[in-house]
Amino acid sequence: MGPDVVRDSGLRTVPEVDRLIEALGRVVATERKPNTPHEFHFWTALDSPVGIGTIVRVDGRTPVNGQIPRVYGIVTEGFSYTDLLTPMHDVMSHDGVPNSAGFASSERSEIRLYSAAVLRQLPEEPLQPVPMGDVFLALEEDVNVALRMDGYLRDGSNTGIPIGVYRAGGTDATIFLDADFLVGPEAAHLNITGVSGLATKTSAVEWLLASLFAHFPESRGSVAAVCFNVKGPDLCFLDLPGKLDDGDRELYAKMGVPARPFEKVEYFAPYVPRGYALNTLRSNEALAHNVTPLTWGLREVLQYAEVLMNRDDIDAKADALIDFITRSVIDQTFTDPVLTRSHMVQSFQDLEDWFRDVLRGLENGNKESWRTHHVATIRKVRNRLSNISVRCAGLVTDSGPVSDLPFGDFEDRATYVIDVANLEEDAQDLIFARVVSKLREHLERRDLGVKHVVVFVDELNKYAPSDGPDTYVRKMLLDIAERGRYLGLVLFSAQQFRSQVHKRVVGNSGTSVFGRMDADELAAPGYALLSPATRTKLATLEKGQLMIRHPHFTQPIFVRFPRPAVMSGRTGAEEYPQGGEVTLETAVYRSLRARDSSVTMQAVEDAIGIHAEGDVLRALTLALRERTGDALTNFRARLPRHVTQSVQPRPQVAVLRGVPGDDPYGG
Amino acid sequence: MIWSKRGTSVSIDALRAIQSLLPDAELVEFDAPIDDGYAGAYNEQPCTAVADLVEGRRMRAHRIEGEPEVRFAGFLDGIQRARIRFHQRGVPIIEGTVAAVIRVRLNRRHVTWGRRTPIVSRKLYMPLSLLSCGQCSELGGTAIVDTSFDEKTGDLVNRHPAALRAVAFARIGRDRDEAERTLAELWCEERTDAEPLLIDGGISGSERVSSSSCAIGVIKSHTKLYADGEALDVVMSLKNGERSSVFAPPAQRRNPVISWYLRLHDPRGHDAMFGLVRIEASMGGDVAPRANDISRWVLAERTPNAMPDNRWDRMSYGIRDCEQFLRSIA
Repeated sequence: MGPDVVRDSGLRTVPEVDRLIEALGRVVATERKPNTPHEFHFWTALDSPVGIGTIVRVDGRTPVNGQIPRVYGIVTEGFSYTDLLTPMHDVMSHDGVPNSAGFASSERSEIRLYSAAVLRQLPEEPLQPVPMGDVFLALEEDVNVALRMDGYLRDGSNTGIPIGVYRAGGTDATIFLDADFLVGPEAAHLNITGVSGLATKTSAVEWLLASLFAHFPESRGSVAAVCFNVKGPDLCFLDLPGKLDDGDRELYAKMGVPARPFEKVEYFAPYVPRGYALNTLRSNEALAHNVTPLTWGLREVLQYAEVLMNRDDIDAKADALIDFITRSVIDQTFTDPVLTRSHMVQSFQDLEDWFRDVLRGLENGNKESWRTHHVATIRKVRNRLSNISVRCAGLVTDSGPVSDLPFGDFEDRATYVIDVANLEEDAQDLIFARVVSKLREHLERRDLGVKHVVVFVDELNKYAPSDGPDTYVRKMLLDIAERGRYLGLVLFSAQQFRSQVHKRVVGNSGTSVFGRMDADELAAPGYALLSPATRTKLATLEKGQLMIRHPHFTQPIFVRFPRPAVMSGRTGAEEYPQGGEVTLETAVYRSLRARDSSVTMQAVEDAIGIHAEGDVLRALTLALRERTGDALTNFRARLPRHVTQSVQPRPQVAVLRGVPGDDPYGG
Repeated sequence: MIWSKRGTSVSIDALRAIQSLLPDAELVEFDAPIDDGYAGAYNEQPCTAVADLVEGRRMRAHRIEGEPEVRFAGFLDGIQRARIRFHQRGVPIIEGTVAAVIRVRLNRRHVTWGRRTPIVSRKLYMPLSLLSCGQCSELGGTAIVDTSFDEKTGDLVNRHPAALRAVAFARIGRDRDEAERTLAELWCEERTDAEPLLIDGGISGSERVSSSSCAIGVIKSHTKLYADGEALDVVMSLKNGERSSVFAPPAQRRNPVISWYLRLHDPRGHDAMFGLVRIEASMGGDVAPRANDISRWVLAERTPNAMPDNRWDRMSYGIRDCEQFLRSIA
């Protein structure tokens, strides 16, 4: 049996390096608990570093087809018990006094028994039950083989994207996702589930995007990200450095990801409904340099009118009228005998004038229909469309200047954040629908500027619920999930309750990430495949820990990831407080100064002069869209040459009759 | 099928060799193994015996002074198992397994003593003179023990199958004693008085062990009671935590030791033997204080108890641990 030190290995302190080399367990199987090709059992010493999620290697003893079988597994369940037959024996052993247990001469024999799910067997054929053998902690190279990462981490064709570090015992192994299965074309999409407030979803996405940008292989083309900031200031400070500790920096270094904020970030936000400030928590003047207004006009909106109208609104008749307006009225000179004049409809205001003219003509002619459209349908569509500029005020302009994402000029490894956190639901839906549609159109035409776009959407419970009405946004998310990978349109989504998200959205996510989970959520049928121990671990995960499912991994893997190297939303909101309500001149000054630091307030005031508010905003929006030239000059150039007459002409007053010359009271 | 479904057994080669040597021997497939104490006790009739007192003039009960003290560093026990594999016209060929181990206590947990491999031995016990196979000392790599003659009388064993089995079982028991003695002697050689060994059973079988102060024997079965008359009344009336006066069991063919009875548990509501053990220790020294100290050590081994073993009232957990260990390897 050897010297005492060997026999007593379960009780002495074993150096980490020895743990990796020495067998830490033995496979056991009984008739009641047999091993199968997909599961096996082993026991370890009491102080073994094995836990739920630990990856182990089993070396068999009997060659099969001339090869010693080697099995890799991940611990999914653990058991502990003593030689007691019933708890009553222990009670009797200590005379019913728990305190006396500490004085017992010996501890009872105790076992640590683990069940492990097979990750991989070598050789893969014939697939046999796991043989008896010694169990070892998986080394880094074992982890690569066990998770089949060796297939995509080869020199020359490395498509690995680090997602985190697997840690157990003395093993620190970087876990890689396969880029071909993360952003396509083999599989795509990523879905994150986790409770709110534990830095799971947003932090994980920020980290993963940084990793993706750092490691996405050049051979697979370019990639950019479009993030919808749907709540709070979560994504508002991606270009500012965050606080990292040594542990985080160590993880960044190990995974080869630069521990710095995103280099190319652009923010987009609509204006507040009434005012001149942008409707974003990133409205501090010091951060305005890369914030661009997001404003759309009639044409941009009408194309997605369906988004803003409920099912009752859109019947066949209304749809036909909207189609007619889009095709025959917008952006062209429209004349009709019913109308009092010709119309060039380019804004909501123009459209309202057009509707008014049509309806007046019908009333005057005492007609009930016009061009097959019933007057009631016309009134209904007018009501709904005219309403849009009110419901989406700040985003949709009456006057029609458009400021949009740089479709066609997307940059590689750039992040475009659209802040919709403070918007009404309608406006959020409209933005999402239009942006995603435009991305899709451009990707189909291969003229977006990048080959792949990652779209990040949080709160998927809200946008793609498993129940409720079939909204336009949900249809779009389903479309991305099912067909996006062929186009390079990749959905990174997050939610608190995966079970309440449409099955086809989460089901089409090649990669699933789980942070700490709510116990109620874990009770949903979708998690029944996980062992009770794995579910317990999920319910108690620390910050910075994730469980990963990926097409190459036959079982979920637990990893640790570093804090994102960007400023957190809370810190950003404290250090860069939101700018207050501003005057028109100040809003223009700030916006132009963000592009050109030589712009002065006086120069802006002089330029604005007595121009009308609408003209000024229109000019500002157009000037900000110009990415070349002097900002102030561009602004001036976009202002109307002739100042709009804002002073009402003096009303004509009837001339008083002259006073008789002989009137004794005159003069 | 000629191998056992449970546990390990003698080699297939040995069984094949028997089949080829004794082609008319019948294979016994469904005989359950016979464990442990059954064999040892088969030929002993319960009786009382007179022993010389070495403490006082008459047997009396002594209250153990002081608190129980955890002192035993190791525990020694052995097991035996017998199983009839063949019979030739009723003459049994028995596979016997004996095993012994010392388990030491480290950090309150029991582990196998690293200085000595647990002893595990398997042999075939068969009366060669009654079988038509001639003399042989091994078959297929397994040692043969001839059980043709009664060890005590030297006479040829009676042909009755039960008598043949009884002789074989006695030989297996003797081999077990031998295995335990080997380990006990090794312990006494290497360890000091400060590391006493609790041995399951008596210590008088070995001169070296019986004279060593680091070996303490604890006997759980009382086929022979070393008290009679009033002395027996005293022993049977011992209360929880009391011991009898120290006496010296008749040495006869064994080595001299001192001994006393100790009650480990309250016998109220149980039979008179409940929680009663007999302790053996080496001669010498001031017997009364030694008996008191050793009794304190034994009393300390009451917890944790040895449940679910049905001898838990007399068995220490360390001995149960040894048995469990041996059953898992033998």
